[in-house]
Formats: sequence, structure tokens, C-alpha cells
Amino acid sequence: MTLIQKGRVVSLVGLVLLGAVYVRALAFTPTEATQGLAQKIYYIHVPAAVWAETSMILIGLASIFFLFLGDPRLDRFAEASAQVGAVFAAVVLTTGPIWGKPIWGTWWTWDARLTLTLLLFFIYLGYLVMRGAVTDVGLRARYSAVLGICGLLLVPFIHFSVLMFRTLHPQPIVLKPSAPSLPGVMLVTLLLSFGVFTILYIGFVMQTYALALAHEAGSDG
Amino acid sequence: MVEGVPQNGGYMVAAYIVAAAILVGYALSLYRRPRR
Repeated sequence: MTLIQKGRVVSLVGLVLLGAVYVRALAFTPTEATQGLAQKIYYIHVPAAVWAETSMILIGLASIFFLFLGDPRLDRFAEASAQVGAVFAAVVLTTGPIWGKPIWGTWWTWDARLTLTLLLFFIYLGYLVMRGAVTDVGLRARYSAVLGICGLLLVPFIHFSVLMFRTLHPQPIVLKPSAPSLPGVMLVTLLLSFGVFTILYIGFVMQTYALALAHEAGSDG
Repeated sequence: MVEGVPQNGGYMVAAYIVAAAILVGYALSLYRRPRR
């Protein structure tokens, strides 16, 4: 089985399990008393956000190692991770406003967390557009690595923005020094969803990486 | 129906559909890409 076929299988498993998470979130997880059903958006919004940020962390680390080692596999992985990270960031930036409207009374506000997440999405887009625009392979990899490191530096500001600034966005209730302030059954649904998004990330990156490899082989031939 | 709980299920359904559409759409685009 080739890498792209393995990636397809992993992605398919991830999508099927996403359906199972939907069923668990809708039918087997209690409705939060103050926010109502809209709170269940949490189970897709948060895992997508965690992976949108983790994806950029991995790009940044791969970029740092690429600048030292010059291994093209690191550059290829960073490109694959950027595509998938952009997709997850798109999930965050669409589900967030849909959640915000009934709870905050507005689709969007220019507070620190939302604005920095939008900036993360633009960095992803800029990264991908730049890769498409630069034809020289060596230059493209070096420019991409620099942009990837800039993206990595942004991630801590996104995560801690709710603590550093006065924002409408709630503070972390799971990824914080103290124990998660979430009932056990809700936490299990969240963790299952996080696992599914992890599977999707791996499956998508495997496919994108294999496609980049095939494209390079085609270009060389 | 619990009294006092906001009736905003439509937003949840919309968010779940949008998220699924983005993820399935991307999976399909990856599936179709090698055939181009």
C-alpha cells in the first residue's frame, strides 16, 4: 500500500469517527444549562483550534530543523502541515462566529484571540501562496522556513491572548495549569473529538505529503 | 425541554454542517487531485 493510499484510509477512518463524535455530542452529552445547544459547537471548535495551532508549531519546528539540516523531507512536511492547518483554521473561523452570535450577540469582534487567530489563517494562506509563487526550489524552501518560524512565534500569543488582554473570548477551561473545569462526560466527548481531529490531521498530512512527493518526481522526470 | 435553557440548536446544527462540509470537501479534493 502506498503512502497516499494509507493516508486515504486514515482520513476515511477519521471522517467516520467524526460522525460518531457528532452522535455522541448530540445524543449522549448533556446540554449546558446557560448556553444551551450552541455550547456543543465547543466539541468541534476547540479540537480544530488546537490542531490549527499545533500544525503551525510543527511547521515552525520543521522549518528550524530544515534551516540547519537542509533535509527536503522537513520542507515537504511543513508544506503538507500548512495545507491541513489552513483547513482546520477555516473550521475554527467559521464555527467560532456561529457560536459567538447566540452567546455574545455578535458574529465577530476584533478582540485579541479572534484577531490573532485570523492572522494565523492569513499566515497559512500567505505561506501557501508564497510557495506557489516562488519557482526556485531552494529559495522557496528557505523563504517558507522563515515564514514558518514567524508563524511559530505567533502561537503562544494566540493561546495566552485571553490572559494577556481583556477579551470577550472565554479563558481556557481544559489547557490550563489547574484541573479542567468541565464535567467528566463533556471532557470525554472533547477528548474523543480531539483524537478524531488528530487522526484527520495525520491522514490529511500523509496524503498531502505523498502528493508533493509525486509532484516533485513528476517535475524531475 | 429544560426551562430557561436558550433555544439555539439551529446555530449548533449550522456549525456542525459547516465543519463537516469543510473537512469532507478537503478530503474529496485530496482524493481527486492525483487524477487531474
